[in-house]
Amino acid sequence: MGLTNHFPALILAILLGISFLSPILFRWVRKASAPALLLSLFLALVMAVYLLIQTTQVGEFSYYMGGWPPPWGIELKINLIRAYMLIVVLAVSLWIMVYALKDLEHELKTDVLGWYYTLYALVVASMAGMALTNDLFNLFVLMEICAISACAIISIKEDRACLEASFKYLILSAMGTGCFLLGVAMVYMVTGHMNYDLVNEYLPVAVEQYPNNMFAASALFIVAFGTKAALFPLHVWLPDAHASAPSPSSAMLSGLVIKIYAFGLFIVFYQIFPRSLLDSIPLNEIILWLSSMGIMFGSIFAMVQVDLKKMLAYSSIGQIGYVFLGIGLDDTIAMTGGFYHLLVHAIMKSMLFMCAGVIIYTTGIRQIKQLGGIGQVLPITMIAFTIGSASMIGIPGTGGLISKWYLALGALEIGRPIFVVIILASSLLNAIYYMPIIVNAFMQQEEFAYEVKAVPRQMLIPLIIGMIAIVFLGVFSRPVIVLLENGLQLFF
Amino acid sequence: MGTLENQIVRITSRLVAPFIQVYGIYVIIHGHLSPGGGFSGGAIFGASLVLVALSFNLEVGAKQISHDTASILESGGALGFVITGLVAIALGANFLANQSAGFPMGQTGQLFSAGAIFIITFFLGIKVASTIVTLFYNIIEGEDKSGDAH
Repeated sequence: MGLTNHFPALILAILLGISFLSPILFRWVRKASAPALLLSLFLALVMAVYLLIQTTQVGEFSYYMGGWPPPWGIELKINLIRAYMLIVVLAVSLWIMVYALKDLEHELKTDVLGWYYTLYALVVASMAGMALTNDLFNLFVLMEICAISACAIISIKEDRACLEASFKYLILSAMGTGCFLLGVAMVYMVTGHMNYDLVNEYLPVAVEQYPNNMFAASALFIVAFGTKAALFPLHVWLPDAHASAPSPSSAMLSGLVIKIYAFGLFIVFYQIFPRSLLDSIPLNEIILWLSSMGIMFGSIFAMVQVDLKKMLAYSSIGQIGYVFLGIGLDDTIAMTGGFYHLLVHAIMKSMLFMCAGVIIYTTGIRQIKQLGGIGQVLPITMIAFTIGSASMIGIPGTGGLISKWYLALGALEIGRPIFVVIILASSLLNAIYYMPIIVNAFMQQEEFAYEVKAVPRQMLIPLIIGMIAIVFLGVFSRPVIVLLENGLQLFF
Repeated sequence: MGTLENQIVRITSRLVAPFIQVYGIYVIIHGHLSPGGGFSGGAIFGASLVLVALSFNLEVGAKQISHDTASILESGGALGFVITGLVAIALGANFLANQSAGFPMGQTGQLFSAGAIFIITFFLGIKVASTIVTLFYNIIEGEDKSGDAH
């Protein structure tokens, strides 16, 4: 055993370490700073894969920070779902970073690059921490780190739109974390514990004694995670923030950051709250309808956008709705679909933002209507865009279909066919705003009207990997689905 | 330059600054014994550097600690925290473990006691003091640039 015992803490230590190291590296050995970040992300990913293998063999296991067991110390916990989240976070962020190396040179001033690596590593570390931690207050701290560094990777571009968007994001996500802290305080008041398992143990009694307290706490948790994850009426910060940020940041924020909060809500609902609470208050019903509205309205808003990145950002509001739908449907099959969508959407939305980044890098245009004929000059990029869009719509052979399929199956199983209708309708809506771009890009007769720079290979390779991953997830979905089904059994 | 009011401020702050710094260091290294610790001590120490820079000018302030040094110390302080945690792993205990990793505990109530906490508080102090200075410089430099930025 030896070192492998410490992998849960080492993942965090490595990511935090590299985030503090990269400003120094950037100052003294500039060439080494980007490879060092890639290397540490890769190491963390290897450790996460090891943890997944370990947890399939021995089941759930814990790591105590500083050797202090709960209720005193912070506990990190590994089970299948958490290891899955960890791998999604680390793999996607490694993949985005490969792309980012080239794109950032173009979008940022050189002297802030070192700080960008710091912030990027901090976002990844905090998300990995959220996937691992088993302590409410620790979760709050990590949410705060994630929120602040996520704001910073938007505002680092220092133009007017970015500053405005990140300020809006900062205020709203501070409200979100504020609500979360209040909710944690209420839970702590009635249970006297912060550790998820201990809270879960004491809550059934507490719910009966102090029902109002727990109503308030659950409302606060929904608002907190809803704001952070852009659940429908709380999404107002997202379009500006995700559209104006540098493309790698957009990919990161839309692909991963909103997902980890959906995961947070899942943990609160199914690991912390006792079953009796979920049965007595229609919490899941609230989530279901909010997410359905998000799915519909996100797509409708996306249709009227003229800016490519803004359209992708609105589309994220719709897509995060699917993940919440999976959580709200309260059924293993639907939740499998939701979690599968979490992975698929992380890949496809990041890839679409990368495509948008390549288009901006090579031509400088952002308007959708200027994209006519771009397929002839940027073939690989636009093929990647096509595959990403196909997966958004849910065309067979792409990962998007599988998640929608499982969501629909789950909705049917618990006898709510209305949500199948919503899923189908939103697929149509997705087609309405993605297809014209593709058709225009490839079918237009006229030549592309703008000047085009050559696409660097470093930007194309991540796109190709993304395409392969989406098709792979669409064709060989079984291993991931089995993993998720096994993992979710722990929560029912 | 050279008005009487300036002189009063400068002489006072020059006199007071060393005492503030000693007090800051005192709060930092007594973090495990008395109220305060890395954060408050670091803030006190950083405030003394900001005070000097405010009452004289930026060049004098930069002579004490330059922007670059401050931001290197800032990263270094945080890195020291992580490394202390890793040392515990190297010694065969869990991440950030203290007594169980074999850090010398010393006599309770003595200055050199409490093992890793003493070390971590020290690094925290460095981190916070340099963060305050870095923040100050960033705000000042942001103001200089703002004329032509937008």
